[in-house]
Amino acid sequence: MTAGLSTRPALTVIGENIHCTRVALRKGKRIAERDGAEAILYRSADGEERALPVTEAAKRTKDYEEGRVKHVQVAIETAMETAASDPPGDAAEGLRYIEALVRHQERAGAAFLDLNVDEISPKLGVQTAAMAWLAGTVQGMTALPLSIDSSSVDVIRAGLEAIAPARARAMLNSASLERLEALDLARAHDCRVVVTAAGERGMPDGAEGRVANAARMVEEALARGFGLGDLYIDPLVFPISVDSRYGRHCLDAIRALRARFGDDIHITGGMSNVSFGLPARTLLNEMFILLAVDAGADGAIMDPVASPPEAILAIDRTDPRYQLAEDVMLGRDEHCMAYIRAWRKGRLATT
Amino acid sequence: MAALSDIANAVIRDEIEEFLERPDEIERNVALFARMRPEMQDIAAALIEGDNHTVDALTVKALADGTEALEIMDDGLIAGMGIVGIKFRENFIFVPEVLACARAMKAGMVHIEPILSASGVEPIGTVIMGTVKGDLHDIGKNLCIMMLSGAGFDVVDLGVDTSEDEFIAALEEHGAPIMGMSALLTTTMPNMGRTIEALIDADIRDDVMVMVGGAPVTEEFADDMGADGYGKDALSCVALAKKLMEERG
Repeated sequence: MTAGLSTRPALTVIGENIHCTRVALRKGKRIAERDGAEAILYRSADGEERALPVTEAAKRTKDYEEGRVKHVQVAIETAMETAASDPPGDAAEGLRYIEALVRHQERAGAAFLDLNVDEISPKLGVQTAAMAWLAGTVQGMTALPLSIDSSSVDVIRAGLEAIAPARARAMLNSASLERLEALDLARAHDCRVVVTAAGERGMPDGAEGRVANAARMVEEALARGFGLGDLYIDPLVFPISVDSRYGRHCLDAIRALRARFGDDIHITGGMSNVSFGLPARTLLNEMFILLAVDAGADGAIMDPVASPPEAILAIDRTDPRYQLAEDVMLGRDEHCMAYIRAWRKGRLATT
Repeated sequence: MAALSDIANAVIRDEIEEFLERPDEIERNVALFARMRPEMQDIAAALIEGDNHTVDALTVKALADGTEALEIMDDGLIAGMGIVGIKFRENFIFVPEVLACARAMKAGMVHIEPILSASGVEPIGTVIMGTVKGDLHDIGKNLCIMMLSGAGFDVVDLGVDTSEDEFIAALEEHGAPIMGMSALLTTTMPNMGRTIEALIDADIRDDVMVMVGGAPVTEEFADDMGADGYGKDALSCVALAKKLMEERG
């Protein structure tokens, strides 16, 4: 392969750090007492050490009781709600927290910023309002294109409508056979779009099912006037802790899809799903992303701050830790036993 | 009061010492294993280590030696799984290991179940499981099913995208005391509440205990929509199913 013919980066990162699902552990280093109140510690975009107070609403949740704080949700709620309160609360701190999430991902090399507020509330109205606010707010903080992510087409629409027309083309995350109307929405807003390999009636089993579903999605998209370069296939990444064949299913599908559709189409995926249920997840995520790139993926929906993309591409595969992770991903470590054993013995520690 | 040294099996002693931290759990498990026959402790220890071959062999041997099937189930298998659940909750062990333990439990239960049912002892209970309408995610639900059937429940799997009518038809067909619903999306989560309403309309809500789970589901949401319980992971699902069976009486 000759380098330099394409200016496309080897790994197009869709940064997933602005998700309401993200949690910090109360016992962990990121939560501490500041000015007599529990707060989320963070480094601002300017490099200043700051603290975002945990809201009373967050403290009333079961999550909190069990030791978890949904820190991104706290920031969004703080910024949205306390601006209007009397006396005004910590709105500026909430905004500063979001700006830090934006800037840190930008510096780490994210190409898109993915926004997801699905878990902010079970109420659709709250979700759509939060997405409209968040998309409108984040676009004022960065020139990067936004990726509007939801399981609800209504929430995605609210996000896309909040984006100014002059901005870089947004991403819609995601459309699938069970949700073809999302393709029409992407077309109407002239977006790029993540198309997943989910079927109409269930998740695909193995590589062939993924390729068949994804190929149908590509056809549906082309028929609506999208170019191949507008499409980002998500072949669906399943947790390897559940079945040691899941890594290969996804990697084989990536290989087949690249061979079938050529260089213009994008292949990405929610890579961190692969490590659910296992310790030392970052190591597994990084190895899986590298294997996916080898197989023909050119992108990842991932946390670029935890795993800088250039570091992933420069991974030393002879490092025993990465070899253990590779064995897990390729199904050579049944039940991940060697990997877990190494973790217990402290052999997976990164500096 | 029983002491750790009253437990014959060294693996069990080490497990309790190393992994149990809550005083009530230590006390309960020390008492439980201390009164248990050493053969049953050996089965529990093999289960905790996820060794399905040893659980299989020891169960067969215990039955041949005349041990009651119920004793093997309660003392060897269920008590062993109790330790596994605590270790998982405290992040000492991970999903693949819990699955290995569930397989080991199953290796024992295949010998126990026919004996129990032949002697008229009902299985712990039947659970109807499904992912709700509009939702195609099944990995979490399948983990729950593996754990439930490992724990001795009969499970009827309705798969994904399960309509209210399908849940109702399955409940009527199997007369199941428990129904579990899963959802991975905030868009499909409300279908849990709709299904519960459909059970009320069909006049069968009081016949069944409803449990719910899935990534976006919270205890608050479960309460709001009128579920009987919420489980945050596959092992909580088993503990919840047992608790609901007791509440039901």
